[in-house]
Amino acid sequence: MDILFVLIPLSVIMALVVLGGLWWAIYRGQFEDIEDEGKRILEDDD
Amino acid sequence: MLTNTFSAEDTPSNAAWTILDTEDQWQAFSKPVLNQDIQSTQQLVQSDLLLDGLRCAACSGIIEQGLKSTPGIVSARVSMSKKRAVVVWSPSATLPSKILTAIHDLGYSAYPATQHEDDLVSLQKQRAAFWRWMVSGFCMMQVMMYASPTYFTTPGEISSDILHLLNWASWLLSLPVLLFSSSAFFSNALRDLKQQQISMDLPVALGIIITFIVSSAATFDPSGWWGNTVYFDSLTMFVFFLLSARLVEVKLHRKTLGALDNLASRIPENTERQNPDGTFTRVLNTKLQVGDIVRVQIGEAFPADGKIISGNTSVDESLLTGESTPIQKNLHDEVIAGSYNLRQPVCITLNTIGESTKYGQIVNLINNAAVEKPRLSKLADRVARPFLIFVMLSAAGAAALLWNIDHGRALMTAAAVLIVTCPCALSLATPAAMLASASAFVKRGILIKRIQAIENIADIDTIIFDKTGTLTEDHIQIKAIATKTGLTESAALTLAAAVAQHSMHPISRALVNAHKASSLSAPQTGVNDVELNDVELTDIEETSGAGISATIKTSTADALEHSAAGNELKLGSAIFCGIAETNSNTQQVYLANKQGWLATFTLQEAIKHNAALAIASLKEAKLAIELLSGDRSNAVENTATEIGITQFQSACSPEDKLLHLQALKREGKKVLMVGDGLNDGPILASAHVSIAMGKGVPLTLAHADYVFLNGDISQIPHLIRHAKQTMRIIKENIAWAIVYNLISIPLAFFGILSAWLAGLGMAVSSLIVVANALRLTKFSSSETDTHSDQSRS
Repeated sequence: MDILFVLIPLSVIMALVVLGGLWWAIYRGQFEDIEDEGKRILEDDD
Repeated sequence: MLTNTFSAEDTPSNAAWTILDTEDQWQAFSKPVLNQDIQSTQQLVQSDLLLDGLRCAACSGIIEQGLKSTPGIVSARVSMSKKRAVVVWSPSATLPSKILTAIHDLGYSAYPATQHEDDLVSLQKQRAAFWRWMVSGFCMMQVMMYASPTYFTTPGEISSDILHLLNWASWLLSLPVLLFSSSAFFSNALRDLKQQQISMDLPVALGIIITFIVSSAATFDPSGWWGNTVYFDSLTMFVFFLLSARLVEVKLHRKTLGALDNLASRIPENTERQNPDGTFTRVLNTKLQVGDIVRVQIGEAFPADGKIISGNTSVDESLLTGESTPIQKNLHDEVIAGSYNLRQPVCITLNTIGESTKYGQIVNLINNAAVEKPRLSKLADRVARPFLIFVMLSAAGAAALLWNIDHGRALMTAAAVLIVTCPCALSLATPAAMLASASAFVKRGILIKRIQAIENIADIDTIIFDKTGTLTEDHIQIKAIATKTGLTESAALTLAAAVAQHSMHPISRALVNAHKASSLSAPQTGVNDVELNDVELTDIEETSGAGISATIKTSTADALEHSAAGNELKLGSAIFCGIAETNSNTQQVYLANKQGWLATFTLQEAIKHNAALAIASLKEAKLAIELLSGDRSNAVENTATEIGITQFQSACSPEDKLLHLQALKREGKKVLMVGDGLNDGPILASAHVSIAMGKGVPLTLAHADYVFLNGDISQIPHLIRHAKQTMRIIKENIAWAIVYNLISIPLAFFGILSAWLAGLGMAVSSLIVVANALRLTKFSSSETDTHSDQSRS
């Protein structure tokens, strides 16, 4: 079970990385318009 | 692609839009595009527009395509959910009025969005709130992962250094939740303490801090007197739940406010002013001065009080006086600001402008009335305050009792009391229920301005209605037709409509509409034996305030023995038609030819089809109902008797209405005011609770607690019933939260309840409260009620 001494700190680091990704997404406006973008792909674009 | 577009044919379909073409006007809803193509030498501008009439996702595609094919528009993007368009255009190639015209030609309407939605300050706030919530949610999940091994194993099964490591990891990920996500609770608690108040935020903040300190101590020194149990999972979950509730609340609030912004955004008011050389230029109303000569087109509102110096017309003063009949205005007559020109363009000189106009005085009255609005008492706060004090005292008591025996157990017990009683359930009890029912209202086209207004509408005992636009539609309709023997009703209506279609007078429009409706309801069945185009008229002449006369040129309708070619037709008042007036009690128009009387049309304001039903249902609920109208007595009495209101008062000025309301207030009555026009503004603002019909003036809407977007007054009984149910559920929720705490506090107090059980109890009690509140998202049993109402009638 010694591997846990590596895995637990690693999971903390990964959690922080994911949080960083979420920060990037929020401040790039990725969550601002979640309805229209989904529908846009269904529209005919000439 | 950017070709010159200034051709003669694309003149805007609404003259008022050209006011937007000046640069200082379009800058209000536009901004320059910064990172544009290097090849393009022209400065491009990006404008925000509000759209009306969007139905589905296909509509946004139609508008986008239509705009892109309009010369001068570089790109267009329509958001269906926000009902907004962002248009990038070149000021050297097109003008805002042309963009609006292009959208209008596609069958939609657009308004400049002067309130920028992507207002940087509010956008940053929103993102920050979302980010706080996201941090707490994500850290909660991860901390729960680290905590779960201790739940599923027996003590000693996990080696102590692994457990130590898990606690360390939990501590690390709880830090952002404590320092970043929950900072608002700390600052609010501090602010309340400084003002010597106690709010939900104080025990929340205390609970968070004590839990974190005890858990941190247990993490760093498990052998210390504080014990070795950590509560990081309870802590993060607790913060996440609270932030979720706040996020939903803000979102719903924004949704409601956004819809109101759309109502308030309109073309800035502007009028044609005469230049010294006699030509007319459109200017903003704020730039007008006393003595200016302005020309007011049909359908426009008069910008200021003034005197007619050329032309004559009829005006609609119903917004200001409540008088629904158009009023004839001749040369040298006074017109008042805010009334509408109905018949002909007229020129006026301005006597008073701005605040000293009647319109301005009413606006002031509204603003003053809004200040004296009664402060409402919040149900949850009344219950919560003593409860919060009780919780804190018991936590302190538990700690004090056990302190001498065992410091660690004392602190843990206090923390357990704080966690288990976590005011989560109690603090969610009211907002969860109110939000759930507000979202039910929004689905029904009812906007709620202040969420506490749900409490106010639940305990009203008197309802005051305004007439025009509230109980009645804002147009006139034909109530009855009497004809000469030998002439059918439909033939008379056709003849009248043939004459009336050449006039813009409201009565003429009512006749034309009535004819349209009857030919639609009976197509080709022979009932409508005459078509409009069977009759051709010449020498059409309108005498203002009296009627229209016309000569029949050709008539192909055999059924019309009275309409041989060359015969003259007259439509108008009794004197104009040369016949004796029969009944002065109602409003009537007459149709006559050279030989004499042909038909009489009795007019009536169109009463909303479900008004009587709504009134009956309100009476059933034992509410006193009154009708206060600025209109003259006959019309008010007719409307009142028709829909079953016994108490009514006519010819009320805004001041009269306000006095009446204050008299009722002194009697201790709680009054719901339902209104529409501008003259209701003051009374809407000072009533216990108020409803405005969505078609009203933006000013009125701004001071009402509820706005009915579709103007359907049959929703009022349902609204009241739903509000009552909301209050019942809030009481249930509070009762449940209190009972839960009464049971759990002693358990925690005597150390029977272990910490994880306390955390679970807290979560479950909150979930029960939320689930109970969610019952309100469906508009309480109103579907079945409507059906039974219909079957009864």
